[in-house]
Amino acid sequence: MHNFSATKKRLLLFILFGWLLLLVGDRVGELRQYQGSFVAMYTLAIASIILLTGYSGQLSLGHSALMAVGAYAGALSTNNAHLHPVIALIIATFVAGLFGLILGFGVARLSGPYLAGTTLALAVSLPSLANQFPILGGEQGVAFDVGAPPARFGEDFSQYKWFFWISSLAALIMIWLIANLLSSKYGRSFRAMRDNQVAAQLTGINTGRLKVTAFTISAGMAGLAGGLLVMLISGVSPSAFPLSLSFSLLTGAVVTGVYSLKGVMLGGLVLVAIPEIADSVVNRIGGSEGFTATLPGFLVSALLIAAVLFAPNGPGQLLKKKH
Amino acid sequence: MKRFSIVSAVVAAGAMVLSIMPAQAADPGVTATEIKLGVSTPLTGSAGLAYGKVPGAMKAYFDYINANGGVYGRKIKLVVRDDKYLPTLAATQTTNLILKDNVFALVGALGTATHSKAYTAASLAAKNVPDLFVNTGFSGFGNIAKYPTTFTVLPSYAMEAKIMSKFIKEKFAGQAVALVAQDDEFGVDGVNGFKAGGLTIASTTLYPTSSITDARAKALLTGLSAIPGKPVVVLFGTTDVTALIFKAAESLDLVSKFTWIAGSVGGDANTLLALGVKSTTIDGAIAASFFPDAKDTSDEYVSQFMKINEKYNKGISFDNIVLQGMNSAMLTVQALRAAGKNLTRTGLINAVQNKGAKFASAGRVPLNYSATSHVGYNGYWFGQLNAKGELKPYGGTLSIFTTDSAAGAVEASTFTRPAMPKNGIPTNS
Repeated sequence: MHNFSATKKRLLLFILFGWLLLLVGDRVGELRQYQGSFVAMYTLAIASIILLTGYSGQLSLGHSALMAVGAYAGALSTNNAHLHPVIALIIATFVAGLFGLILGFGVARLSGPYLAGTTLALAVSLPSLANQFPILGGEQGVAFDVGAPPARFGEDFSQYKWFFWISSLAALIMIWLIANLLSSKYGRSFRAMRDNQVAAQLTGINTGRLKVTAFTISAGMAGLAGGLLVMLISGVSPSAFPLSLSFSLLTGAVVTGVYSLKGVMLGGLVLVAIPEIADSVVNRIGGSEGFTATLPGFLVSALLIAAVLFAPNGPGQLLKKKH
Repeated sequence: MKRFSIVSAVVAAGAMVLSIMPAQAADPGVTATEIKLGVSTPLTGSAGLAYGKVPGAMKAYFDYINANGGVYGRKIKLVVRDDKYLPTLAATQTTNLILKDNVFALVGALGTATHSKAYTAASLAAKNVPDLFVNTGFSGFGNIAKYPTTFTVLPSYAMEAKIMSKFIKEKFAGQAVALVAQDDEFGVDGVNGFKAGGLTIASTTLYPTSSITDARAKALLTGLSAIPGKPVVVLFGTTDVTALIFKAAESLDLVSKFTWIAGSVGGDANTLLALGVKSTTIDGAIAASFFPDAKDTSDEYVSQFMKINEKYNKGISFDNIVLQGMNSAMLTVQALRAAGKNLTRTGLINAVQNKGAKFASAGRVPLNYSATSHVGYNGYWFGQLNAKGELKPYGGTLSIFTTDSAAGAVEASTFTRPAMPKNGIPTNS
């Protein structure tokens, strides 16, 4: 009974938050709508890392590759198979999930640095592999055109608001599903496995299968985020998924607090806000283009170090301590 | 008029206001005293090393024009954003230029995979933002239905290969031809161009850029050296790979075995020498170009741009990249002048379409702008490098060929470019 009401409460919370986003989306300009879409996309990608690393204890440095798989699946679905963009995003999720399942079987035996190394190799090699298949469009890639917003929303409904709606809704639904999963027996099994694999096995948890499950779900989420990313930049190409993307997402996860899904939006906000902050700093104090170009990287690194030093479990933990 | 400019200033101040203003209102980025232009281009990363000088060169030329009264009294401000040659950054930075910086037009964007995404993501077509003088040889940007506001400046790779085919057939009949091209759009565009040009190729090698090594280059050349006579080797790739192959030929003592022809991308003598290729190796090699040689101080465009570079781009050495940036900036100034005093985005696009083919430019080949063509230069000339790295017209006289990216014929052209405007300051209207 208690569980049911917690689930209900969570649903209500997500609906309220969605309604809030709807109001905010109506009241901000196109630039903020576009940035908001990126926040939603990054939030989803970071959530996929938190699920994998924070809850199931597997470290992946190759999430940009999983995003790329989803991105190509989504782009091919719209561009080549002419499917509706929403269906394309669902396909992106499932194809990346399937890829994660296959990969999960391969890496289930690995852990720690070996797993990190394998996923890192994947992130390095997978995008450039795309160059080898003509259907994937080489360096130029494949277009992902979400199309104009439906006419019934009116003429004032901009492309960027459309992006914002799709990204926010996708991220909300996915994260709601994951939040439910994590509060179920699966969530408890994940945490048990993360904290002590042997003890978890002794309680009857099939850790091998659980790891593969976590990898599959995480890959599916990353695939959806990849699909959203290429929707926002109107097409996919290998260079859209550099290794630095994996590291940025990991930074976002650490800043958020890798052991908790609560406040995951913070990571997405940080990744979008950093270049903005760098921009305004440079505007205020003046500086060369080189300075502008290097400042975001510096800020991200500084933030990462600060997070590890002062709030390794996320700012939420910091607040709790004070009480 | 004054009220009009106040309205436009208010529009420029806030993107939110902009989104609810009717489309007839003044375009953003233009005030009575300023025209704000923007560019998203690689400044850092490996592409930044190669092309990072472009925006600085454009800025230097704009500063020079601003110091000489600007365009109808308006000073040009260029907002530069770094996209590191990454599509995601290109999309967000270009969107920032439009929605945050409120630029009037874009000028000199660089990169195919990056800019094609940025164009759609930043809604440049829907917002009717002029997208001038894009630096890419990708022929897809010539599709006016898809990129209605884009004007490219470089000739396409397909044009280059077609023209090269004609040149080889005429000048080196009887010699076998070996093509060495990189295995991506650039190289494949080239291979298709050679096919369209009807050139018989004895051996084609496509290499992935990531895997070409000294050992592979040597193996390749050893294989090609088995071809009897003096084969023509066409190098259709980036400068670093061209340098690698030249160095392999040096160590195998095969430099004189072949007649070397480098494409315009890989034939930049400055870079080849900087990468360690011996001056005796490049001496006599043939290269394609559409610009004058950046070392040719007798060229009126080069010498004027050099002067501007010295004063407004301090500490930056003058080379082909700087020449390209300044040339695009001069084309921009002419386009802005041609659009008239009441500057609008539509007016600027029409100005390039209707008058762009007549703009003064450093290019030795014609500009091809019209209502049905948004592609700039449409030809090449061939030169021979000397040991100093200077590119001199092949056979002593400059012969120019023009064509298109499709099945059109390659034709000899008698084009003479317009004279450099006095002191490099356009006065067109």
